Amino acid sequence: MNPQKRIAIYGKGGIGKSSTASNVAAACADEGYNVMIIGCDPKSDSSITLLGGKRIPTILDILRDGMEIEEEDEVVFEGYKAVKCVEVGGPEPGIGCAGRGIIVAIQKLKKISQSMKEMDLIIYDVPGDIVCGGFVAPIRKGLVNEAYVLTSGEYMPLYAANNICKGLSRINTKLSGVICNSRSVSREEEIVNKFANEIGSELVAFIPKEQIVQDCERDGYSVLEKAGDTDIAEVYRTLARNIMASDCAVDPRALADERLRELTR
Amino acid sequence: MQQKNLSIMHPRPSSIVAALYTLRDLNVEVAILHGPPGCSFKHARLLEEDGIRVVTTALDENGFVFGGHDRLVDMLQKVEERFSPKRIGVVGTCVSMIIGEELHEAVMEANLDAPVIEVEVHAGYNDNTKGVLFALESALDVGIIDRQEFERQQHLLNEATNVEKKYGAASKDYLEPSRGDVKYTVAKRVIEMLKAGKKGICILNAKKETAYMFADITVALQEVAEKLGVEDNIVNFANLDTELGLPRVRQHAEHILADMDNNVKIDEIIGGLDEYPIAGQQVRQLIESKYRDFDFAVIAGVPHAIPMEALEGMELISITNGPRQVHPLKDMGHKHVLVEIDLHPKTLGVTNIVESEFGATLRQLAREE
Repeated sequence: MNPQKRIAIYGKGGIGKSSTASNVAAACADEGYNVMIIGCDPKSDSSITLLGGKRIPTILDILRDGMEIEEEDEVVFEGYKAVKCVEVGGPEPGIGCAGRGIIVAIQKLKKISQSMKEMDLIIYDVPGDIVCGGFVAPIRKGLVNEAYVLTSGEYMPLYAANNICKGLSRINTKLSGVICNSRSVSREEEIVNKFANEIGSELVAFIPKEQIVQDCERDGYSVLEKAGDTDIAEVYRTLARNIMASDCAVDPRALADERLRELTR
Repeated sequence: MQQKNLSIMHPRPSSIVAALYTLRDLNVEVAILHGPPGCSFKHARLLEEDGIRVVTTALDENGFVFGGHDRLVDMLQKVEERFSPKRIGVVGTCVSMIIGEELHEAVMEANLDAPVIEVEVHAGYNDNTKGVLFALESALDVGIIDRQEFERQQHLLNEATNVEKKYGAASKDYLEPSRGDVKYTVAKRVIEMLKAGKKGICILNAKKETAYMFADITVALQEVAEKLGVEDNIVNFANLDTELGLPRVRQHAEHILADMDNNVKIDEIIGGLDEYPIAGQQVRQLIESKYRDFDFAVIAGVPHAIPMEALEGMELISITNGPRQVHPLKDMGHKHVLVEIDLHPKTLGVTNIVESEFGATLRQLAREE
């Protein structure tokens, strides 16, 4: 049996992490893998397209009501092709401490979930900005063993991706690859490919910007479920196979800011 | 899903402090509090009297904002250099846990020779026994205690929590603290009963080191009964088993028994010094089988852990060290309830029985007879 893959997808907020994560989850499920997706964003929308657009109760929703969680089926729900979906949840924006929320929820999940052990792939969909200690809880608690960085060819997302690489080396986590979620800017694939090489990693997928992704999302479905015969579905499938086969994680070397600017010029 | 506990208004024991006391029982020589300098100050100070050094990483506003990892690594190394302890503990605090500090990473990085017990704990738990449990779990992980002892302790902690919820300081949403009854009046009543030829059971059911003072009541009662020539009317129960509990706890029992020497005979051992939550069952069986016709009972330590059915028909004189325990004991039906104020600090760092106020009062009144 292959060792369990436990990955986190990092990247600038709004760059398409949740959409990529849920499509990869669906593609792996299509291949027959046992997959779990754990949404760590207080917005709790990581798994929504695997559940036909429905929201599930989050771990922190239940804890907030003063209830104890004892069985995993209170917070683990099956979506498309039996992908197990979990949402951490969190406080309303501007109050409490979302970071602590992630720590508490992840500890709780680890304690009650039996099925985590049986998974071939667990995807942690983490918030874009690692603003405090809690947001790296999945990694710190030894739950994640590989990271991917998602970016476009624009300067700001690349800047964020570069920063994330600095963060990863600080917390001793290896980078398994860079994924480009295209915004259709000029020379995009070339720029991201170069960036990936220079930090010591590789570009593992180039996801073109297609209206169909947005259409499926609006309906509450993944591309794999609603438009499985499209080219873009094939891109996700290739990425999914790539992730499951990957064995060359590296310690990324972040670039100096001037070099990053040069790249995007 | 299970509903959580009632919301209690009065301040409660802290799980951080509970973890510190547990580290002491595990013979940790230096405990590092990872948090603000004032966190758990009073107990940290008291614990030093008991031979364990407590230091703090003294996180300040900058530490809260930027994290305290480096300070903790430094502190671990400094502790090793300066004190060369054989065993170290690291204890979390509210602030370090909220900002997501990883004690384990710092311990790995510091790479010390001595084993380090890591306790990820804050004070936000309803049951302060959580602090004890986390410390014991970690001690189990590093091989300082075995699984059998861990499970035994876990059982005792659950029972202790149940006792507190049913009859103790966690039984009501607010409990008024009280000094209890006047010791002089109650001592007079005890002497009156002894003189009238009444038969009494003296039960020491104390928690760990608090027994150093609660045991003085057993000794005083014995002295008074002898003076009045009625020593045969008193039987002594005590949770002073020297074969149960962590080594330090067993030692307390040995010290106390040695100090009692030949003056006091303990008729019935009802468990170890950490078995106060469950010793009540033993007491019940003993009374039912051998001591049914007794008129009164003097119970010191954790009187609320003795089931009331066992004590039916007896006049009860109970001595606690918790001002918030007075009303619950009265509600249970304990006629006289006394508080030994500030008992705990006086029982740290000692190896002999320490005089109690009630014991002193009994002795004085007996002298005046």
